[in-house]
Amino acid sequence: MKGMLNDQSLIYQQIAQLLEDGILRGEYPEDSQVPSTNELARAFNINPATAAKGINRLVDEGLLYKRRGIGMFVAPGALKTLRARRKEAFARDQVRALVREARRLNVTREELLQLVAGEADKEELP
Amino acid sequence: MTDHTTRNLCAKGLNKRYGSQQVLHDLNLTIEPGHIYGLIGRNGAGKTTLLSILTGQNPLTSGQVTYGGEPVWENPRALADLCFARELNATAETAQISVKEFLYAGQLFCPHWDKQFADSLIETFGIDRKKRIAKLSKGQMSMVTITAALASRAPVTLLDEPAAGLDVVIREKFYRMLLDEYTKTGRTFVVSTHIIEEAASVFDRVIILDEGHIIADAPTEELVDQFRYLSGGKTAVDAALAARGLQPLQVQELGPHKMTAVRGDAELFAALAEDPALSLSGMNLQNVFVALCGHGDEEG
Repeated sequence: MKGMLNDQSLIYQQIAQLLEDGILRGEYPEDSQVPSTNELARAFNINPATAAKGINRLVDEGLLYKRRGIGMFVAPGALKTLRARRKEAFARDQVRALVREARRLNVTREELLQLVAGEADKEELP
Repeated sequence: MTDHTTRNLCAKGLNKRYGSQQVLHDLNLTIEPGHIYGLIGRNGAGKTTLLSILTGQNPLTSGQVTYGGEPVWENPRALADLCFARELNATAETAQISVKEFLYAGQLFCPHWDKQFADSLIETFGIDRKKRIAKLSKGQMSMVTITAALASRAPVTLLDEPAAGLDVVIREKFYRMLLDEYTKTGRTFVVSTHIIEEAASVFDRVIILDEGHIIADAPTEELVDQFRYLSGGKTAVDAALAARGLQPLQVQELGPHKMTAVRGDAELFAALAEDPALSLSGMNLQNVFVALCGHGDEEG
């Protein structure tokens, strides 16, 4: 499924992101095993070294841990850490992009807040 | 005998001249074991010449090529570990024999040859082994080259344009076979290709050859991460380039809008991203290749 990957960011980062998404969606609960380097390499037709780099990033960040001879597992607390980190990135990247686009379109602060509130109502955001 | 090696294949100060035409200029290169290298370059960049010299099949003009510290030229010990899978064509001398005879020759020349593997690959590709090579389609010739390269089980295997003439489904299948074999054995591969983007994820290292010069030799993703497209109003882009002393690669102007590729590091890109008048976007290996080797031809 090479087509799953895009070419706007580095492949190892996409592999890391993919595993993060899986953890956030609950596909990989804490203390469950994630796919191995070779499984990822095969699934995406990528060099195993690249897949390993993606996994290692998550190990370095404390989101995955290694069980010798068995494989890689989701660390306890990974979900909470990831949520907090994604929230930070959400504020930094998506919200900033939103505001910049609003400026380009001459959308006022008032209008922007109304648009966001309207969308939040539609999605029934608590 | 094992499939993998711990020896480096090295070129030092390598020059190659055909008559008065110099095709390779003072190349220094180390192929380290356990990687899949992509060798990319435009037509006529010298890729085939380089691969044939690295495997002792073509004499060099000056410099040296060594494997595990020993010269490669006419050295049976080094040559036993090296396989060069050349691109076949209908007029070549080697194309006048049958597929079966071609593979038999492989068995004679390659001490690590795996006959069973060769047979199963030829069957997978659905090639009639009694057919003369010259009678095969371009794609089938590539399949024979791929079969010989993989079945050689040579610790260091160099493939010249293995994807030529293959449709996209077979190309994906080839890269899967290559990754499977690499994962299983840890053999070293050098693959030349001009179909860059779909192969980029298979190469963990890339060597870019441009008019006989090596202009890049790095882990693929490290190289790609050094480049971004920068765009915005012409004055804003020019000001950013001047303020940071950046060399614009591959420039395109669209009225008051300007786009260019730039090379730098994470710090530079973070600083450029802060400027609301500029947009920054990622590049892929093919984009980087064009930015480095386009020499203005891409402007059309």
